Amino acid sequence: MKTLVKLQVNGRVHELAVDTRAKLAEMLRDDLRLTGTHIGCGTGSCGACTVMLDGETVKSCCVLAADANGQEVVTIEGLSKPGELSTLQQCFVENHGLQCGYCTPGMVLAAHQLLKDNPQPTEDDIRHAIAGNLCRCTGYQNIVKSIRAASGR
Amino acid sequence: MAFIGKDVPAQNSPALVAGAGLYTGDVKLDRMTYAHIVRSPYAAAKILSIDASAALELPGVLLVVTGEELRAKDYAMPVEGFGKGASLKPFALYPLAVGRVRYAGEGVAAVVAEDPYTAKQAALLVDVDYEDLDPVVDPERGLTADSPLVEPDWGSNVLFEIRMQAGDAGGLIAKAARTVGGELRHHRYTGAALEPRAYVADYDPHRRTLTFWASTQCPHPMRTLLAQTLHLAENDIRVIQPNVGGAFGLKIPYFQEEPLVAALSLLAGRPVRWIAERREDLLAGGHAREGHFTWQAAFEDDGLVTALKVRYVADVGAPSALAGWGQAYVTGFALPTCYKIRDTDVEVVAVTTNKCPWNAYRGFGKESSSWLMDRVMDAVARETGRDRMAVRSRNFIPPDEFPYPQNGGAVIDSGNYPQALKRVLEMIDYANFPKLKAEARAQGRYIGLGIGQELTPEGCSIAGSARFNGWDGATVRISPTGEVTVLTGVTSPGTGNETALAQIAADQLGIDVKDVRVIQGDTSLCPYGLGNFSSRGVIMGGSAVHIAAGELREKLFKVAGRMLEAAPGDLETADGRIMLKGAPFRHVGTKDVVATIYGDCHGAAACGVEPGLEATRYFRHENVYHQPETQGRYSAYPSWANQSTALIAEVDPETGVVKILRYCAVHDSGKVINPMTAEGNVHGGTAQGIGGALFEHLVYDDCGQLTTTTFMDYTLPTALEVPHIELEHQETLSPFSPLGTKGVGESGVTSPLGALCGAVEDALCEFGVRIDRLPLSPENVWTALHPKGGRA
Amino acid sequence: MIAGEFEFCAPKTLAEALALLGTHGSACKLLAGGMTLVPVMTLGLAQPAVVVSLNHLSGLDGVEDAGGVLRLGAMLRHATVAKHPSIREHLPLLAAAAAGIGDVQVRHRGTLGGSLVHAEPAADYLSATATLGARLCVRSTRGERWLTTSEFFVDVMTTALAPDEILTAIEIPKQPAGSGSAHKTLRRVEGAFPIVLASAAIGPGLAPARVGIGGVGPRPVVLDVADELRRGAGDAALAAIGDRAFEAAQHALTDLNGSGAYRREMARVYAKRAVTAALANLRAGGRS
Repeated sequence: MKTLVKLQVNGRVHELAVDTRAKLAEMLRDDLRLTGTHIGCGTGSCGACTVMLDGETVKSCCVLAADANGQEVVTIEGLSKPGELSTLQQCFVENHGLQCGYCTPGMVLAAHQLLKDNPQPTEDDIRHAIAGNLCRCTGYQNIVKSIRAASGR
Repeated sequence: MAFIGKDVPAQNSPALVAGAGLYTGDVKLDRMTYAHIVRSPYAAAKILSIDASAALELPGVLLVVTGEELRAKDYAMPVEGFGKGASLKPFALYPLAVGRVRYAGEGVAAVVAEDPYTAKQAALLVDVDYEDLDPVVDPERGLTADSPLVEPDWGSNVLFEIRMQAGDAGGLIAKAARTVGGELRHHRYTGAALEPRAYVADYDPHRRTLTFWASTQCPHPMRTLLAQTLHLAENDIRVIQPNVGGAFGLKIPYFQEEPLVAALSLLAGRPVRWIAERREDLLAGGHAREGHFTWQAAFEDDGLVTALKVRYVADVGAPSALAGWGQAYVTGFALPTCYKIRDTDVEVVAVTTNKCPWNAYRGFGKESSSWLMDRVMDAVARETGRDRMAVRSRNFIPPDEFPYPQNGGAVIDSGNYPQALKRVLEMIDYANFPKLKAEARAQGRYIGLGIGQELTPEGCSIAGSARFNGWDGATVRISPTGEVTVLTGVTSPGTGNETALAQIAADQLGIDVKDVRVIQGDTSLCPYGLGNFSSRGVIMGGSAVHIAAGELREKLFKVAGRMLEAAPGDLETADGRIMLKGAPFRHVGTKDVVATIYGDCHGAAACGVEPGLEATRYFRHENVYHQPETQGRYSAYPSWANQSTALIAEVDPETGVVKILRYCAVHDSGKVINPMTAEGNVHGGTAQGIGGALFEHLVYDDCGQLTTTTFMDYTLPTALEVPHIELEHQETLSPFSPLGTKGVGESGVTSPLGALCGAVEDALCEFGVRIDRLPLSPENVWTALHPKGGRA
Repeated sequence: MIAGEFEFCAPKTLAEALALLGTHGSACKLLAGGMTLVPVMTLGLAQPAVVVSLNHLSGLDGVEDAGGVLRLGAMLRHATVAKHPSIREHLPLLAAAAAGIGDVQVRHRGTLGGSLVHAEPAADYLSATATLGARLCVRSTRGERWLTTSEFFVDVMTTALAPDEILTAIEIPKQPAGSGSAHKTLRRVEGAFPIVLASAAIGPGLAPARVGIGGVGPRPVVLDVADELRRGAGDAALAAIGDRAFEAAQHALTDLNGSGAYRREMARVYAKRAVTAALANLRAGGRS
């Protein structure tokens, strides 16, 4: 069974027929080939699938693609132009705020949301803001450092 | 050295941070099909019949395959023992279960369909008739005479048994004036890389070639194994390892799903993609830990441990083609870790059970050895009334006795344990801690300090093993424009070793690290190598790059010497120039030398020099001894990093909740190529050690059902549970590697175990609490404090 | 990945949604934030034939000040409940409960009504709404009815909601000005469901003085602790409250995160902690 969906992704309007069972994360990855959105658990625990939906971060493995009809989505690919990096992304590179990169898109979007809401976060604010994003490589230390660095720029 | 020892940002980071990584699950091919695996709901059962008719009727389903069909094609998986260390009893293994299932979650059938939803839907329609059998869930029971057997042909559930003896520990303990002993239980947990396993197989029936994308650590060994299983020529297989979303040992081959996905492509004649769901990875993606120590030590009044006797029973899960069960061997082999105890008697019994097979997980058994020794040292300190630091120092292998032949048969390359421990205790202000503790106690708070002393044997080199051994290769190529390509047999699971390799090549060739591109993980491009395991990327791969780049450097110097009218031995290189030592104004651009070799090979400078600027060299670690010593011991690990950790934790005695307040560590992995990426490894290892000690637990019920199959139940630490880690390096160089490097990939994961146990006991010292098991979950700590139950 | 096929409906009005439920009944699942339903469908634990999304109809996410009560739309997201000025002012306990649910992303998407209907015994909202004396408005094509929390929460993950009914609003009496509130949770890790939790609301003059405990039985337990506190807010009163919590938790279940026996002990600890913190908050005039 297919469902027609019209939504805006990273500023572009897409109209497509998706499998009704598809989650937003799966549609972004398989139909739109925006593979920066990752799936780590499929049950809303790990945050690798984090995207912005109508301006707020959500876990796109817990949103049906059909249910995102009419909404605006921003994925990691929408944060910077190809070949360029946002200040926040640049800070992740400089501070080694990532290793395998699998949690990174979701982590960057969670941090993006934080800095939008709270441009001068404390370390505790940062740790709370990324608590919905699991990372197995970094122990979070250099992620926190990266976000702190970005908050000062 | 311009780049070695510097914080060079990881080369892969800009793409990964932009979401432009390519992971196996991102690969999408024309005419691609999708697999889903039907998994056993039982821990042990006979498969009576499999009826796929309903599944095959679903539109879009192409194929349903069972284990019997794969056996009929003789797709048997090769199973490797642990070389001379421990041999594995024979058993037949296929990509899907044949005749019976051996753990809940083992694959029984596989569906291939036009889309992944249909594949999963059809898998639910495959009707398997089972006869439920009595499973082996508890290893102690598995050792009894009336236990059911996981492998009926073996006659017992013992997968292997080994005893490593040095001196006469038993005799000394029997005669000793003072002894102490205890038990220690480690629970089951796993690495839980955020990227689940994923494979894409593309068999071309016309060319009879197989391209296999895999989230794996070892592409070349995978190619060999796939060739052996599927009866293909190895040179017709190309294994590509794209970006890997975390591995930690758990993506070392050979999972049943690996040949399965390849076989499905052979049978379907089309590309097949399989991505594990998290539930599948927790059920069947490899587990680790779960063991039971019984130990006894003799000691003297000053805390010197004179003898140690250990029996370790490990629950390694079902037999598999994975390397994981070798961890039980390594736990015994690494004892007595960084201590000089001449008389030891270590017995390891690896018991097979109807649970998910062990696979390698960062630490690879050594974490348990160091954890045990931390508990032994804390116990001796308690018995003697001496300081915990003093007891450790009393027993350390003295810094002047390296290389040190340890009891298990290995030669520990180098170390300065007293210095690292002393420094970390300065960092945490150990001297002032009693005051801090008293102040907290006056406020009704319970804080404690714990010490974790880890020793991490690395560079696993198994005698007789084609998969796990002490060598690797690299090709270094300078193109006519002067840029450098490094092709290597080691791979990166996402930890940044490619950047370290680039730094090594850049310094050998005197060029900018930005001009070095490292290519890994493609069997059609890279020299044969064993991939990534046992923290070997820099030890083996880095050393191979150093040697190969060194060969090119010699060639460059030979030609440059003629251009500068100087002896090659008088030259050096830096900043893209080759110059005369002591007279840097006499120089030539490295790119000019390269251009001369490529473009003027008959000219005066390059004539007689072999054309081309490409070198492939292999490095073999020389601190490996495979000639058997007495009692069959041999050295399987050449490189020994160490770390001293001190942490302060607070325990809430009403709830049992443990919170880390401060975490300090001094890490020593010899020469550090890239401090930033090395530290990143230690941070991550530490978080995983803390996760294992406090939060993560794979729980089986009495029927062998795994009850923790999502991240809602298998709780991983978040940014709020992992503390800030205060980390310093100490560099005690290895005399056996060209740059003095050791491995760093597994560092940090071990010391939280002992340090947390020690800190909890210290915090609750007035109650006489003894910690003899992990995890330190709130309820377990609470129960230790209230052994008879009762009011909080 | 969800295996089972289903029909997806996104009604624009409540009337349409009610009509769909009236037609499909128990074959139908309502989709609110999806933080539970979508994972549960992924794991194959629910396979509805029809999924009716409430995300595209308006009117279910209001915060209405109706004199002595706040009327909250069932589709309010946790983040809104945590931050809304009226809720923070008049129902600080509910705002505190919402602020601790899951994580930032979960709070952006998950809803008040969705959580209540899921009725996981350790959910933050269950003990909080029970403590606050919430009433739940339930609608169907047959009409509307109002239920107290003790009528609504029937058992573990079971409510009094009929297959054709939608929880549309939650009406909660305002906490008196200057009330002290505290929501205390014992969790394995941040974002996990609590093992045990306690929500205390204490008004000036101990009217009301209640503590609700969750995670210790199939339904939240609410204790009126005014009598104990009237005798003085010292250790003896707290001990008595703890004893009552321990007794009330006699049906605590055993699961991965804790045995029933441990949960009973934690009921005692957390009831005392929530009351202690609420009293401190009361003394501070309700300002945290």
